[in-house]
This record gives sequence, structure tokens and C-alpha cells, in this order.
Amino acid sequence: MQLTFDHVTHTYQPGSPFQATAIRDISLTIGSGEFTALIGHTGSGKSTLAQHMNALLSPTEGRVLLDGRDINEKGVSKRDVRQRIGLVFQYAETQLFEETVAKDVAFGPKNLGLSPEETDTRVREALERVGLSYADIAERSPFELSGGQMRRVAIAGVIAMRPEMLVLDEPAAGLDPLGRQEIMALVQGFHRAGTTVVMISHSMDDVAETARRIIVMDQGKLTMDGTPEAIFADAERLVELDLDVPQTCRMSLELRRTWPDFPMCVRADEAYEALLTRLKGGKAHA
Amino acid sequence: MLNNITLGQYYPLKSVVHALDPRVKILLLIAYIAGVFIVPDLTGFVLVVLYLALACKLSKLPFRLLIKGLKPLRFILIFTCILNLFFTGGETPLLNLGFATLTREGLINAVRYSLRLIFLVLGSSLLTLTTAPVTLTDGLERLLSPLKVLHFPAHEMAMMMTIALRFIPTLLEEADKIMKAQSARGADFESGRLFERAKAMVPLLVPLFVSAFRRAGDLAMAMEARCYHGGEGRTRLHILKVEKRDWIAILITAVFIALVILEPHFVPWHL
Repeated sequence: MQLTFDHVTHTYQPGSPFQATAIRDISLTIGSGEFTALIGHTGSGKSTLAQHMNALLSPTEGRVLLDGRDINEKGVSKRDVRQRIGLVFQYAETQLFEETVAKDVAFGPKNLGLSPEETDTRVREALERVGLSYADIAERSPFELSGGQMRRVAIAGVIAMRPEMLVLDEPAAGLDPLGRQEIMALVQGFHRAGTTVVMISHSMDDVAETARRIIVMDQGKLTMDGTPEAIFADAERLVELDLDVPQTCRMSLELRRTWPDFPMCVRADEAYEALLTRLKGGKAHA
Repeated sequence: MLNNITLGQYYPLKSVVHALDPRVKILLLIAYIAGVFIVPDLTGFVLVVLYLALACKLSKLPFRLLIKGLKPLRFILIFTCILNLFFTGGETPLLNLGFATLTREGLINAVRYSLRLIFLVLGSSLLTLTTAPVTLTDGLERLLSPLKVLHFPAHEMAMMMTIALRFIPTLLEEADKIMKAQSARGADFESGRLFERAKAMVPLLVPLFVSAFRRAGDLAMAMEARCYHGGEGRTRLHILKVEKRDWIAILITAVFIALVILEPHFVPWHL
């Protein structure tokens, strides 16, 4: 699976007094098995970009290609595209509507026209994959669950379609620290199981722990694209864009005052190793 | 998906008409409507056209915007025309169709009632196009406040209208988001028969209601936290003031009404 943006521009309400260009001339390719984080200041066009990935929005200019085929072309089934590329919206729990959790998760598979047996299998699988017990929760109303549980049910609703690629818009926003950790662990789990992941996030710490590639957006343009190490090494640039660096990087920068050759650590375990080596007096090679 | 819906009709521009005091504008509209209805004969509509043309010119609004407001009215207009053409009666038949007779009186009536309707809507559109919804409710509140003596809840009515107007864009945005979220799960809002389409709305409407109720609760709490207790003793941020331009507008309108009333006396023919 390969998703390609070819000079994509999107303008909201073109020709009206409220015309606004949200993204400009975006070109990028996302390949199978990647874990990409999309970061940027509020209003930088991240969500607009994400909604182009499964044809919820179509470009004003340019093309979006899935395995070389324009997904907005006539004759390409949007439903197929949306099955292959699942999109989890911000505060996804606001989309829950059914009487029971099981029925709500079944909404996607049913729309795909799957048989009741297959739908049931998918629902069980999806709920287990988001760490909820089918037996306990399937027949309850989604509206009586806790915030974190509702979020997971909503994610299960997308997972149940078995997408090859999962796009998540701030999956952990508004959750308590434990809920946040659980959601991040889930997302990492999906990635390990072979799903391509694109995650929009404001938390640099979450991004540092999980992503293998970071795309930075600013005012509708793609400004940086690279590994977390490369992106976070340019801390000044990020601050210019009203973004932050993760705590691990900030700590690494501080430690460089004592040890000028201290490596730039992105993940907490790297930082731990590097620091341990230093304190034992050895030479660092993290 | 819902972003081509314009909210209310307000068309923000900088013009004298936009700047008029909303209370004055509402009263002038009422006077104008009265004028349209007392126009004694077809010649009198020339005055109405002139008055409206002046207001439109001063408001700087593109003329087609005003005309667009007439579109929903077309069926009522056709209906009015047909009814009046054939069922007015009268003594001067122009055409006999067998089942009904077309008379001179009928023709005049049809034109008169259609023109009344058209000018009624054009005038009202001019008000809503040039006045922000919140300003409008503010003006309405002030106009209705003398009725408080009779225990009419003028402030509460206006507050309810303001809140309703304030939340229309929010709810539309929310509806758009939920629609997209359900589409991402394969929902189809655009095809199917009437019944299927109505059924497809459930995944949109349930979450929308849930969030609307939550919002209403939050808003009530936030208002109470800031000691809102209704209209009594409440001061206002924007104090409405009648200025020179308002007096000029009132004068022009008074002249318009006077001319409409006197028109039969200085025009020799009557239609």
C-alpha cells in the first residue's frame, strides 16, 4: 500500500467572501508499515490534510493517489478507499450513536455489506484489540461508559473495518494521563501488528516515543519531514513554528552543558541508556 | 459537506444602511410594509420602487442578492396570480375561457398582489441582509421592552433568540464533523430512497442531539457562574443611540409614506 499526495491544495468555500486556503501544494508519500506523526500549530492544516487521505475532502488542485490510482476519480469506490484507510476523528466518542456498544462497532462492517456472522467476528475482534472485554461491554449503552472507554469503542468502530492504514487525529486529546498512555499503547500495538499509522498530535512526548517519521506543517505548507532525531535536533526551528521539543530532547540539551558530546536522545529509554553510560564513566555511543 | 450554507443572510459591508440603529431599521421596515399595503393603485408602486432602489443603492448590496431572496417565493407568486386572475370577478371581461373569465379587475388585482408580495419580501431581505442577527435581536428586545409592564419577557425572548443564532454555526460545524466521521465508517448520506435516507440520518442526529444537550447544560452553568439572573437591572455593552443618519432615514421614509397617501390626488389616472 502506498498513499501519495501530488501537489495537493485545498481551499474552503472558494469564490465566497469566506474563502480560505487550508493546505497548499502538499506532496508526500506514505508507505506500508510506516509510523508517521503529523505535527503543527493549531490551524496549520493537519486535519484538512488528514481528511484528504480517505477522500472525505477532495483537493481543489492536485491529486491523492492510493497505489497509483487517483482516489477522487470517477469509478473509484469511496467506500473501498475508506475501508482501506481508516480515519479516527478528534474526540471520536462524539460519533457514537447506537443503543449498544456492539451495534455501534458493527456500523462500519455493516456498511461494507458483510454478513451478520462476519460482522459479529469483526466486532469481537475489534473490541478485544482496543482492550475491552466483549462479554462485559458489548450489550451496554455506549453513553454510560467512561470517557476513555468511549474513545476506545469509537476507535474499535474504525478498526472493525480492518483498514490497512489508520489515520488518527489527536487520539489521546482530553484524556487523563492513564487514558492517554493506554491509547498510545494501543496505537503502537496496531503499528506492530502491521497497520500503517499516521497520527496527528500536539504532544511532542507522545510523538517522540512512537513515531518513526515526523511531518511538520506550518500555515498549510509542509515545512519539515524526517526522522524524529533529525526533526528534534532543530529545536530552534520548532520553537519558531510555535512548537515544542519533547522533554527528553530538552534534557539532552541541558546535559550538553556538562557533556558537550552528549547525544540527542528522543525516546526515554535511549536517554536512560545514555545517561547510565555517562554516570558509569564510559564513553557514550547511543 | 455543509459549508455552502450561508448563515442567516447577513452580508457584512460598510454602508449607511448597515450602520443605522436596528430599532430604527425595524420600525422603518414596518412603515415601509404599511406603505406597500396602502399603495392605492399600480402607479403608486413607482414610489415603492424608488424608495427601495434608494435603500439598496445606499446599502451597497449587490442587487442580485436581493433578487435571490425571491426564489423561494415563486410558487406562492404563481398561485396568487392565478387565483386573482380568474376569481376576482368584475365587470370588464377581457377574455372568456369558458370555465372562467379573465377580467380587467382580475388582471389589475393579480399584478397588485404580486407586487405587494415581491416588495414585502425585498424590503424584509434588505433588513436581514444589512443587520447582523445579534444586532437585530438586540433592537427587537429594546422595541419590545415597553411590554415588560404587561409581564412580557422581552429580555428572555431576545436572549433565547441570540443564543439560538449563536449556536447555529457551531451545530452546523458539529454536524459536518459527525457526518464525516460516519462517512469514514462507510455511511452513505447521499443516495438511496427517501426512507433509506431518513434512516441514514440516525447516526448523524443522535450524536448531534447528545452534544447539543451537553452544550446547553454547559452554557447554563457558565451563565450562572457569571451571575446571570435574567434581564432585571442588567446594563448593556453596546448602547443603541439614534443619530443624525437615523433621523434622515426617518424623514425620507415619512416623505415616502406621505407621497404614497397623497398619490391619487396628484396623478390624474387610476389603474
